[in-house]
Amino acid sequence: MAGLATTFGSGAMTNSINEIENAQVILLIGSNTSEAHPQVARRIFTAMDRGARLIVIDPRRTLMAKRADIHLPIRPGTDIPLLNAMMRVILDENLADDLFIEMRTENFYGLRDMLFRFDLEETVRLTGVDLARIRAAAQLYGRAQKAVICYCLGITQHVCGTGNVQAIANLAMLTGHVEKEDTGVDPLRGQNNVQGACDMGALPNVFPSYQQVDIDDYREKFERAWHASLPGQPGLTLMQMTHGGKNGPLKAMFIMGENPVLSDPVSDRVEETLDNLEFLLVADIFLTETARRAHVVLPAASFAEKTGTFTNSERRVQMVRRVIPPLGQSRTDSDIIMDLAGRLGYAMDYESPAEIMEEISMLAPIYGGMQHDRLENSWGLQWPCWDRSHPGTPFLHKYYFTRGRGRFTPVVHEPPAELPDDDYPFLLNTGRIYHQYHTGTMSRHSALLSREAGEALLQLHPEDGRRLGVRSGDLLRMRSRRGEVQVKAELTETVRPGEVYTTFHFSEMPVNRLTISAQDHFSQCPEYKICAVHLEKV
Amino acid sequence: MPSQSKDLYLPRPAEIREVIEENSQIKTFALSFIDREYQDRFSYAPGQFLMVSVPHCGEAPISVSSTPVSGGAIHLSVRRAGRLTAAMHGMRKGDVVGLRGPYGRPFPMAELAGRDLLFVAGGIGLAPLRSVINTCLAAGHGRRITILYGSRTPSDIAFKADLTSWGETANVSCLLTVDRAEPGWQGEVGLVTALLAQCRLEPDDAKALLCGPPMMIRAVLAELAERGFADEDIITTMERHMKCGVGICRHCHMDDKLVCRDGPVFTLQELKQLKVMELLG
Amino acid sequence: MKDKYLLKKDHLLPLLRKLKKTYRLIAPVRNTHGDTLFTAIDRLDEVRIDLDKQPQNSLKQFFFPQQEVLFTYDNPAGDSYHFQPVVEESPPSLYFGVRPCDLSAVLYMDVVFLKDAKDPSYLQKRQNSILVGLNCNDPFASCFCNVTRSGPFIDFGFDLQLTDLGDRFLVEFDRSRGQEIITSWQQFFAPAGEADVKAQYQSFLEARGKFSLQVHLDQAVRKLALGEVPESVWEELSMRCQDCGGCAYICPTCTCFTIHDLQTSDHAGERLRSWDACTFSGFTRMAGGHNPVDRQMRGIEKRFRHKLQFDVKKDNRPSCVGCGRCVNICFGGTDIVRFINMTCCENS
Repeated sequence: MAGLATTFGSGAMTNSINEIENAQVILLIGSNTSEAHPQVARRIFTAMDRGARLIVIDPRRTLMAKRADIHLPIRPGTDIPLLNAMMRVILDENLADDLFIEMRTENFYGLRDMLFRFDLEETVRLTGVDLARIRAAAQLYGRAQKAVICYCLGITQHVCGTGNVQAIANLAMLTGHVEKEDTGVDPLRGQNNVQGACDMGALPNVFPSYQQVDIDDYREKFERAWHASLPGQPGLTLMQMTHGGKNGPLKAMFIMGENPVLSDPVSDRVEETLDNLEFLLVADIFLTETARRAHVVLPAASFAEKTGTFTNSERRVQMVRRVIPPLGQSRTDSDIIMDLAGRLGYAMDYESPAEIMEEISMLAPIYGGMQHDRLENSWGLQWPCWDRSHPGTPFLHKYYFTRGRGRFTPVVHEPPAELPDDDYPFLLNTGRIYHQYHTGTMSRHSALLSREAGEALLQLHPEDGRRLGVRSGDLLRMRSRRGEVQVKAELTETVRPGEVYTTFHFSEMPVNRLTISAQDHFSQCPEYKICAVHLEKV
Repeated sequence: MPSQSKDLYLPRPAEIREVIEENSQIKTFALSFIDREYQDRFSYAPGQFLMVSVPHCGEAPISVSSTPVSGGAIHLSVRRAGRLTAAMHGMRKGDVVGLRGPYGRPFPMAELAGRDLLFVAGGIGLAPLRSVINTCLAAGHGRRITILYGSRTPSDIAFKADLTSWGETANVSCLLTVDRAEPGWQGEVGLVTALLAQCRLEPDDAKALLCGPPMMIRAVLAELAERGFADEDIITTMERHMKCGVGICRHCHMDDKLVCRDGPVFTLQELKQLKVMELLG
Repeated sequence: MKDKYLLKKDHLLPLLRKLKKTYRLIAPVRNTHGDTLFTAIDRLDEVRIDLDKQPQNSLKQFFFPQQEVLFTYDNPAGDSYHFQPVVEESPPSLYFGVRPCDLSAVLYMDVVFLKDAKDPSYLQKRQNSILVGLNCNDPFASCFCNVTRSGPFIDFGFDLQLTDLGDRFLVEFDRSRGQEIITSWQQFFAPAGEADVKAQYQSFLEARGKFSLQVHLDQAVRKLALGEVPESVWEELSMRCQDCGGCAYICPTCTCFTIHDLQTSDHAGERLRSWDACTFSGFTRMAGGHNPVDRQMRGIEKRFRHKLQFDVKKDNRPSCVGCGRCVNICFGGTDIVRFINMTCCENS
């Protein structure tokens, strides 16, 4: 988010998902697309049917990597040097788009000077990828007319997450691979409505539509609309809220549809924080690990029981419609919030979700033309959509970047917070699998999904397996400096020796007891992707 | 017996009469239906299996390891493998499970009579063969019977009482081997194929019945082929994930055959028509 | 003409209204979002019966529901465990507007559920069903029933069969229950003349020429039987398959199911059966973890072999009815037409 916002001025997919089908080169980085975003993966396959070439940068040999024309098996946490090396090759071989750089960007010399001081051999040592492959990938990407970069949490969940994204943006601008249809930089969102939550200001520093709270004009606009005085300082980040511990900054929390006990790093710390709150209120459709700790739980309605909109990765706002009334005592989120606000002395009186959407369109300029009547019976609209006559925006930054000129932001390698050593010799990477969703709150209720993937498995290279005397199915004790779990081994060459991979879907194996609380300096996104662990057979 | 009824999928409660701990992984449960009248009518043949229900765990197919005697207890030998079998291992005498069946094509008992018989089993694979062996012996099988049984370690040897009693029977020779010896073990160490080499066999007048892990089966098949056994004289059982047991749900398919309906007993001749990965390697 | 009748289109709704008094009526209905689905009709005047579009669902869900309680159980203590059958009588039902592909699919399901072991739930629903078919004058974009020989017209298996002749339907019957309907509601049916039958034949000939897909099914069937499908076809399709199971769920002839327990309280639960898909890796994985099928490389093989090889070997016809629904729903590009095309293009 922060990375694209500072370079392009807008933190979202620049393309529509459909456009990927028309790209000539697709560069995937930090995305296990076929598991996590099958609807994107199929567009990539379609593009490949039409002759597109696929470059995959991933430490693991995922299905996407197997299908790739070039796979760069990178050492985790070394994305910046790899991307810088690609840029250096592009400069050396005259593949940069000079006109684009001249007309549309700023601070190119800052980047160029950094790249010219850059040692390619050093990159090879850091990333573990040989130069020929880096060169081939850079040439392929640099020469393409239409090239798309898709990235996901493998980029952002690092201490240098923002830097990673800036490096990606630099690469795209250097080659002029933004601004056009079928060409751009596309962060794939982890959930169906993360984009919508960000758009609506569920971030510490902005009101809806990314209007900063510390800019008086914006704040006053919202104060007038809401008849209330609003804080002018950014609030707390997620990690500040859930990792405060005994003497944390909060006395009470209201958690809606989140399960931080499983999903946030260093679970012990999260539990300590929550248990020391004076009051914890949780609204969820199931009694999650977090809800079990709450003083009061409000049963919430599922997607099928409410009307409203979701905003997906490609900035598309789509209607969901109520199919059945909320079951039992459950109520919709807006109903819960309105009732709660009323009892706290602030009347929120909306007769329908459509009325809420009307207010959104008045206050959030990028949603300016989006009302339910326009979204009804259509495939939705993509923001920015400034007014009711605006058709929506399939791809961003046409003619000019949101921030004016795109800004090259030179970034250099920042090592991960914790790397393997003699005591903790394995590098643990975490992620998702196809059949389960997030902390399994919903998906584990499906017997069929649980049959497909019913327990956490730790991917381990057969060579490491032999060394530890472990076969597939054996139970391992996995320990980090922060905690310990037991997990079944799955020997596979998907991972490399010395690296292990598992998922965070299963409460029986809360892997986030092990992960680290180190976080990106700008976005405060935790480094889920790298921590050091020790393994032994149980 | 039950497949035409209105209650195709409805199990009947059966009580655990006895639990025999064969080894750390295998327990044999002696069961009888609570409905006495049904118990008296119930019959099955060696090689057939029952679908066993355990509360909240669904069903699993388990082959019968006992000899069909009118009214006698039904023995199911269960290796701890998944959720249901783990739950079953926690059950005690007096507990109740659900049973339906028997299903599947049994061993061709009539064809076995009057032939030398070679049984080769590994681990839990002895369970269905135990049913055949005891049935043959009860019927007064007069020809030579050779039983070869492989276990991982000496403490993994299951069905010890049977092995002892077979060893004491005149026309039966019973040889054991283990993968890994333990202190005190004086028997063979190695694969069952090594035992096979010690046996006197007349392939023209014998039938071989195999049951065990795919690795073992592959090795034994190679050895038997060398010794001149014809494919139709080699009989084994197949294992597949199974749900309905009655040939509808298709989980247990092997090409165009269904293990629950066309098996689980197959001759090698039949299996060679199919693409069976376990055997082809 | 003997045994052939005419029904004026204007009289269709009045006829259905009469029939609805005796039967639960299921017909293709266009809903408010513009989707056409086979739907049990509550009030005839409040729905729009749509015979112009292919219903997105088939009749599968009515005979073989997506999820069904086989029985309930309780076990108040370890030493007691009881099973109670669920008695759910399906009312006599009339399925109207069933196209030849979907009709053929029901006939195929009859074989699966009734040939050896008789599935009680299916049997009950099937015995209480009347099938009123509709021949396809205009095949849809993804249809290929011409090569699966299950359309565009069919002359058996139905109770009543309609052919659209413009302002009227030609009505045929194949079963006594169809004949009974004609006898009971004589006022709606007039005997058909020779010209009407000729018109029907003309429609059939025209319909046969209207298919837009070229599907060389016979060639794929032959290659499968001879073992000439290259390994690369299975690998490519299996790797591309996105494992959603949509093809199996939407397919009118995919009948594989799974059975599992749903605990409803500490000491009680239901045994459910629900649709399954052979492309899932859990379909064949055994307790303990061993899986005889490698999903990533061969996951999709069972699906096509079953429909185009094993069922052909057994019953001399493929168990694909050419409805094209999987072609429309598959987002991985691994549908049966894709398979057939790849098989025919590549040499082993």
